[in-house]
Amino acid sequence: MSTATERSAKERWEQEVAQAMSRPQPPTTVSGVPIEPLYTPESLPGFDYDAELGYPGQYPFTRGVHATMYRGRLWTMRQFAGFGTPRQTNQRFKFLLEKGQTGLSTAFDLPTLMGLDSDDPRAVGEVGRLGVAVSTLDDIRQLYDGIDLEQVSVSMTINAPAIVIMAFYLANAQDRGWDWKKLRGTIQNDILKEFHAQNEFVFPPEPHVRLVIDVIEFCTRHVPQWNPVSISGYHIREAGSTAVQELAFTLADGFHYVEQTMARGLAVDDFAGRLSFFFNAHNDIFEEVAKYRAARQLWAETMRHTYGARKEASWKLRFHCQTAGCSLQDKQPEVNLIRVAYQALAGVLGGCQSLHTNSMDETLALPTEHAVTLALRTQQVLAYETGVTNTVDPLGGSYFVEALTRQMADEARRYFDRLQQQGGVIAGIENGFFRREIAEAAYAYQRDVDAGRKIIVGVNAFTEAEEKPIDILVIDDTVEKDRIAALRAIKAARSNEEVRRHLDAIRRTAEAGENLMPVLIEAARARVTVGEAINAMADVFGRYDGAAKW
Amino acid sequence: MYLVATTVPPSGESEIMDKPPVRIVLAKIGLDGHDRGIKVVARGLRDAGFHVIYAGLWQTPESVVRTVADEDADWLGLSILSGAHMTLVPRVLHLLRQAGLEHVGVIVGGIIPESDVPKLLELGVARVFGPGTPIPEIVEFLRGRTPAPSAS
Amino acid sequence: MGNRQEIRELCQRFAAHDRQALSRLLTLASRGEQLEEIRHLVGAARAAPLDGQRGSPSRRVVAITGSPGVGKSTLVGRLIEVLRHQGSSVAVLACDPQSPLTGGALLGDRFRMPSRPEDPQVFIRSLATPGGRGAIPEHIDLMVALLQAFGFAWVILETVGAGQGETAVRHVADVVVLLVQPEAGDDIQWEKAGLFEVADLIVVHKADLPGADKVEAQIRTLVNLPGCREVPVLRVSSHQKEGLEELVKQIEILASQSRTSASSAKARLRDLLRERFVQAFEQLGGQAEELVRGWEEGRLSDEEVFAEVIERMASSSPSAN
Repeated sequence: MSTATERSAKERWEQEVAQAMSRPQPPTTVSGVPIEPLYTPESLPGFDYDAELGYPGQYPFTRGVHATMYRGRLWTMRQFAGFGTPRQTNQRFKFLLEKGQTGLSTAFDLPTLMGLDSDDPRAVGEVGRLGVAVSTLDDIRQLYDGIDLEQVSVSMTINAPAIVIMAFYLANAQDRGWDWKKLRGTIQNDILKEFHAQNEFVFPPEPHVRLVIDVIEFCTRHVPQWNPVSISGYHIREAGSTAVQELAFTLADGFHYVEQTMARGLAVDDFAGRLSFFFNAHNDIFEEVAKYRAARQLWAETMRHTYGARKEASWKLRFHCQTAGCSLQDKQPEVNLIRVAYQALAGVLGGCQSLHTNSMDETLALPTEHAVTLALRTQQVLAYETGVTNTVDPLGGSYFVEALTRQMADEARRYFDRLQQQGGVIAGIENGFFRREIAEAAYAYQRDVDAGRKIIVGVNAFTEAEEKPIDILVIDDTVEKDRIAALRAIKAARSNEEVRRHLDAIRRTAEAGENLMPVLIEAARARVTVGEAINAMADVFGRYDGAAKW
Repeated sequence: MYLVATTVPPSGESEIMDKPPVRIVLAKIGLDGHDRGIKVVARGLRDAGFHVIYAGLWQTPESVVRTVADEDADWLGLSILSGAHMTLVPRVLHLLRQAGLEHVGVIVGGIIPESDVPKLLELGVARVFGPGTPIPEIVEFLRGRTPAPSAS
Repeated sequence: MGNRQEIRELCQRFAAHDRQALSRLLTLASRGEQLEEIRHLVGAARAAPLDGQRGSPSRRVVAITGSPGVGKSTLVGRLIEVLRHQGSSVAVLACDPQSPLTGGALLGDRFRMPSRPEDPQVFIRSLATPGGRGAIPEHIDLMVALLQAFGFAWVILETVGAGQGETAVRHVADVVVLLVQPEAGDDIQWEKAGLFEVADLIVVHKADLPGADKVEAQIRTLVNLPGCREVPVLRVSSHQKEGLEELVKQIEILASQSRTSASSAKARLRDLLRERFVQAFEQLGGQAEELVRGWEEGRLSDEEVFAEVIERMASSSPSAN
């Protein structure tokens, strides 16, 4: 279709480019993907609008999962929070709701994330430090005290002991008179990415995945508005992966959960609509946007054609987005505000359903209220002042973005093939495939930065001789003592006979391969602790030392 | 004796490095599983000619000190991002001294608030490296400051 | 480093069961420093067994070999557990490759081996192995002797497992255990690497994975050809903790045979002689060139060349007692 004059225009341009000066480093994305100087219709051979993009809210959802996107409703502004005692975190929650936040997101401390009680010797020094410490039902009760759980959607970022925490949450909701059918929220409950990237796991992969499926199964039947898993690429990216690895590994994990849930006898359309995703928003705006768009396309395609889902809801990939913690620098920390703003822009241009913006001081400590407020204000400026919400998928149709979206999807498919050849996701965990791929990518990135091939403002360029310190949040050391004392009091007041009975029931149910949720909900009421429940399961499942794969 | 021979013929070719390689143990103490940094540093130091003994995740102060002792390491690199450094690092330093390993240099990497850095240095940490420290900076520091391995 | 005074002090501390002296001496041995002193020390030391198992004079030296990724470290970790459970003390020398370009090495094996820091009867040392020198580092025999003299009943060598130069481990180890795993492809890689020849015992590792039966069948047809020595084949799953006790038992049996069986001793001695002879020849340096020329031109007979090499062997023999 190109005419002689067009060709000559192109030739003229090519000549000019060849003669022009270019910067010393060939331009690549954050992930190292080479980028062409210009994208034109020729970059998209055989492009088919209806098949590849279609209309928003329609298959394959490349342009977004809702017909009107942000013209209808803005994304949920959800700031992750949690530290110290349940009471302290409860106060932070109320502070955030007052500032206009529209959903809650709970961060747990490391001992809780690893399934350890506050009084466990391995927890020393870590209780309440990076999140809130939760060991019993009473802690969950205090954590969400005074918050209308039928109105506010609650997200809980926890994985290895997710089923136990979910049981506590449901027991508390029921005891408080909330209707399970009206509860809205998300539990992360994604153990696979823990094996790939974040290393918060207890049991071997297979029984661990079984617990994930227990939660999906139970929620599908009894808590229908809840998202029982948030399939997460965020941590994979934080561990150093490329954008494509984040995309491919996350979707592969998702497919594994779908297969395992179907193997339980659930129909794909009964649960798929409640599977949610969680992606990273890194510095490279176009690479990130292409990643989200490719993710929606690939998921829709696979759910429809491989797993035979018939409902539109099952094809839709809905995702939460968080700006990249790993991109934040401890040098000139205020500059992080600017990074976060651009990353948030990428998330919104990519059509996220909810968004967390990091605070500028997170490489130094937990965020202060001042820093958290600025992070939230960043989202509000984006939503109400910049105009990016005015139309759906504003970057759709850009030759560059469409070409990058295609490329991203193709490379992800190649990863799916490689995984299949190895025998699937679990095999890839066992043989160290994921960990190696991610670690090598992380090292390649660091070498690029060290060699100055990638510029990080304030770190390897534009540095300041004198760094001005900023105020940071200090967690007082009384939290640990407070938590241990509270836990002792609960242990003293409960019936140990009853606790033993519940622990036996947990073991029996684990052994029998039945869904553990009902026994855990009952155990929660008898004040069985997180650590006790996890240990009882470990008696049956064993423990996993697979972090050794690297 | 049942052992009478060297098993491998001594090769005539000269060593790549004339000095014996520096041995460094890298470990994560505490519960946090964020191992991106330590893995990157491990690879970087390897490529700079160090012998890196990777002790991995979830190490306790006791297990770290045992590793340093058995590996006869010149350096110990601790990675910690969980905020528990003021609890765990002093314990490691104490145990090193108790084991007679005060000649081993200790470096710490991770999220360490500015105000804690002088405290750690005072306790005997040789240097604290924040997130995203260029590998060459760590290499240069270690090369310049390698403690003399002592036989006593 | 390591002047006379220091090394003497180290030896005294070693004799007094100072673990850090052991650690330091291992470093010196690995660097080829103070070899005479250390040889003397291990020759003289007659430490009581660490685990107090009297009446068990058997000291086991076991090499674990196999391709990278086959799970050597994991299996060694499991062996530590089983041996400790049985009350035996155990030391491990874990080898990883060293970069020929930078001399650097990433030694990650001990990470896969659980050891309780308070248990004095487990010792793990990571060793970098320069390329082209075989699967085990230089002076490893001396390191093994140090660990034995310190009282460790079992010494486990984990080789690099690159496939080349594995024969060297035969001279240090009583028993060489070769690990193979179920493979996705049909190719049997280990055959090419010549690993079967050195193995006293073949373990089908990761036996819980599909394909284990097939691999086991393949190996059995390969190793038990008529006229070949019998090589036991075992199935082990470190993951499921299956087959481990049986493996230890088999190693015990083979180790006692390797001491008593004349044919095996003869084979070991033959290997050793062959190697020492070649070594002596290479040590001749410039003189070797002359021998080669003389031999090529017919000025020297075979016997005359042998005599030169034998003389060299005699003069450079390590001063072992």
